[in-house]
Amino acid sequence: MRWLTNLFSRQETYADLSQEIQQHLEEKIEELMAGGMAPQQAEQQAKRDFGNVALLEESAREAWARPAFDSIWADVCYAGRQMKRSPGFAIMAIATLATGIAASAAMFTVVDRVLLRPLPYERAGQLVQIKEAGKNGPSMFGAPYLDIEQWRERSQTLAEIAFHTYDKPTSFLEGNSGPVQVNTPRVSTNLFETLGVRPAIGRGFDSSDSSGQKGGAKTAVLSDTVWRDGFGEDPNILGRVIRLNGESYAVVGVMPRGFQFPFNPEKPQIWTAIQLGDTDKERAKNAAQEYTIIARLKEGVTMEAAQAELRVIQNEVAKQYTDAHARENVMSVELLSYADTVVEGGVRNALWALLGAAGVLWLIACLNVTSLLLARAATRQREIAVRAALGASRWRIIRQLFVEGLVLSLTASLLGIGLVFAALRIFERELSLQFRIHVGMAPNSALVLCLLGLTLLSAVISSVWPALVAARASIDPALRQGGARSGGGRHQHRGRGLLVVSQMAMSLALLVACGLLLRTLFALRHVSLGFKSDHVIVADMVIPAYRFDGRNMTRELYQPLVERVEHLSGVEAASLTTGVPLGKRFPILLTFATDENDPASVRVEDLVTQFRAVGPGLQRVFGFRMLSGRFFNEGDTASSQPVIVVNRAFARAYFGKNQGLDKAVGQQLLSYDKEKLAEIVGVVDEERQSSVIEPSQPEVEVCIPQITPKTGFYRVAEGLAMNLAVRTDRNPISFIPEFRRALTSASPELAGSTFTTMDQVVEDSFGDQRMAARLLQIFAGAALLLCVAGLYGLLAYLVSQRTQEFGVRIALGARRGQVITLVIRQAGWILLAGSAIGLALSFFLKRLLASFLYGVQARDALTLSAAVLLLLGTGLAAAYIPARRAASVDPMQALRAE
Amino acid sequence: MEPGNTSEQRDLFRGALEIMILRSLRRQPMHGYALVQHIRRQSNELLLVEEGSLYPALQRLLKKKFLTADWQISPTGRKVRTYQITRSGVLHLEREVSLFNRMLKGIALVLAPAKS
Repeated sequence: MRWLTNLFSRQETYADLSQEIQQHLEEKIEELMAGGMAPQQAEQQAKRDFGNVALLEESAREAWARPAFDSIWADVCYAGRQMKRSPGFAIMAIATLATGIAASAAMFTVVDRVLLRPLPYERAGQLVQIKEAGKNGPSMFGAPYLDIEQWRERSQTLAEIAFHTYDKPTSFLEGNSGPVQVNTPRVSTNLFETLGVRPAIGRGFDSSDSSGQKGGAKTAVLSDTVWRDGFGEDPNILGRVIRLNGESYAVVGVMPRGFQFPFNPEKPQIWTAIQLGDTDKERAKNAAQEYTIIARLKEGVTMEAAQAELRVIQNEVAKQYTDAHARENVMSVELLSYADTVVEGGVRNALWALLGAAGVLWLIACLNVTSLLLARAATRQREIAVRAALGASRWRIIRQLFVEGLVLSLTASLLGIGLVFAALRIFERELSLQFRIHVGMAPNSALVLCLLGLTLLSAVISSVWPALVAARASIDPALRQGGARSGGGRHQHRGRGLLVVSQMAMSLALLVACGLLLRTLFALRHVSLGFKSDHVIVADMVIPAYRFDGRNMTRELYQPLVERVEHLSGVEAASLTTGVPLGKRFPILLTFATDENDPASVRVEDLVTQFRAVGPGLQRVFGFRMLSGRFFNEGDTASSQPVIVVNRAFARAYFGKNQGLDKAVGQQLLSYDKEKLAEIVGVVDEERQSSVIEPSQPEVEVCIPQITPKTGFYRVAEGLAMNLAVRTDRNPISFIPEFRRALTSASPELAGSTFTTMDQVVEDSFGDQRMAARLLQIFAGAALLLCVAGLYGLLAYLVSQRTQEFGVRIALGARRGQVITLVIRQAGWILLAGSAIGLALSFFLKRLLASFLYGVQARDALTLSAAVLLLLGTGLAAAYIPARRAASVDPMQALRAE
Repeated sequence: MEPGNTSEQRDLFRGALEIMILRSLRRQPMHGYALVQHIRRQSNELLLVEEGSLYPALQRLLKKKFLTADWQISPTGRKVRTYQITRSGVLHLEREVSLFNRMLKGIALVLAPAKS
């Protein structure tokens, strides 16, 4: 930045110099006068002795000059004056470039934060996830400790194998001001070592933490966030006892700032050590504790080599499974790079595709400006010719025009920064919902680099060609012709035509992509969800269940709460549920074990079932359709016969496709406690559970009033987040304050509950598609606008060039309609060529967009034709204006101008 | 006269003037007018240069950070810009003087046999 300060201090230096020379002369005059000389004579003598003041001063100034910089600076100033002289052109060019640059930079910011951010681990490329796999593909569950132990003993390719598990999505850290929600992954003691990150404070876990010896205190490691927010950066944190979910843990470490594992958690993390117990001495399904595995490859070992080795080992390990069916599901292993498990493949592709779309918009913007600058170079031919005639080299002229382009794109970038932040603000909700990223206003070096690159590239793309054209033009004819406007020649028109054609083609591709996404959204909104989402509001309650240890939460907290809410005015039905459809729910999965080996048993063994605890009112809240039997009702209590409800998918999977529905009701399945099996009392129709796109999974529902602390799944079902869903005949939003008051008066801890309308939950579940559609709407709309403006600009220019020709034509008897046709025909060729190339381009979209589309083919005829029609329609409309102008040329005036 | 020639001559002169300025300022800080007087007196008025040509040389030396300049009030009550030599200016002077001496010696050796 020194040159910048120099730039300003230079003025001061020059002023000093002038003053100094003046002082010198005065001193000399005084001395001469003291020697007896007359004033006028003294002055002349002083000046004579000094020499040429102006020349010497100039020569003294030269000491400070940097010729190259000064002349570029002069170019920059000249570019500024040019912009001021034709503000319309400057605004058009800058706005166009700013749109393109901002779109690309904003998308780049998202991609950078989601895909390019480095994982906070040492050499993260060596980290892999290991999944057991079998005839049904990779397992949905983890692996038991016994298998991990075998891998650890035998593997030569893995440096470390660590594992972890979650018991519950939310835990409570007791603090001074009430419980704080945290994530508490339980991890093996070598996890941090495997990740290559040492605690910032303390030792972390060691093997004594996992021995599970009776009496040994449980240990925990805090994340930096918890240490700061929960413990005020207490330097003496080590050894301090904290209370998590009502249990005591001794703090043995604090991880460095920014460390998280698993990556990108919803809440601040506290890690506790896994203590191996009886469930780690088994392999049997439903008896063994299962873990997610993360391992580090040895230096120089590829993932393929490690996978090959582990598969051989696993072949041996699988033999130790006594259950033949279970064995088939663990015959092999799959290795995945840990970085790939952090972001779903679909999201990854979609983000790259959207970045590509933004890039296309940017390119269109640049080409548009190229076209503008070409036109401008034609009108400035005379100025350029004068420069060349006065001795400017070609290189000098190119440099000057390039600097002008650079000034335009630099201004556009500055404007673009503002647009980027505006865009990120608009998409804040989507960004935090989809990727849990919060893009602040903090300047980010990646973004700055990206903007610099875009600025430079924009200038190169938009101004180099026009500059070359201008510099190559011969001086003589341009100088000889009178007017500033002399035609740029056929050659150049064709060049501009090609630019407009390529803009058209790219815009069409974007329009098609946007159309496909809009159709996808339309299709998604019309999928039969299997439930009614209107007038339903859901409270997400996070309850510190440990407070109710030993007491019956159902009777003491939940029942009174539901009753209270049911009596609020406008409430039609209210019910508890461990998860609402399409909501973010912590999946609880059930599997069944059988002893038999017949086809029916195998089918049952393969079955993975969603599990949900609900209240009897839920069917009225959501309007699920009963296929047979009944839903839970008020008569189902802890003392009555235990009952369950299943969905159609479950009935089919469990009892067989053909007879499932009829056979299911009355069957006994699953037990609430050890004594009694529950009876299926009804089958509900399918509903979309986790995503509108995915068909229903088998599901079993149990009745909350029947659950007591003695029930096997009491902790699973009630320790979790519980939702309270309410159907009201009022506007659900206006119901929120009343709802919140009712919850708070039931238990002050419920004040922190969040409320969402069911419509919003459904809308949010379209997240990926909706964000992509909104972005593409913006990109495609802007692209259409730009390319139509480009077409209009070209035609308007051509028409103005051919004014005299049209005048002659009309004078010779051409009808106005014929002249209009002439211009429209020219536009028509450009539009047709653009559409044809655009259609060809959009065939490539299929691969990029496939994971995003639902209910529409990538080569959907309706979308393609609609996009083409839109392009042709707006294109022709834009062409009509110059065509009209051409037709309304007054032949007399046109000829007189000759 | 060939263009190359003039620039060489000027360079030689410029270098000489700069050495004289540095040498004078090494004795004591001075302002421009005093510097002119000083050089004239020291050279027994043999070196009569245009007084103004001092200023481009001063600016070049300032740029190279061989000098610093400050506005001061002279003993005669005049506001003058006084130049002071810096450490790197002194080093430069010493280097230049020794180069200059070597050159003179060289010229003398070349010229000596012709004279004899």
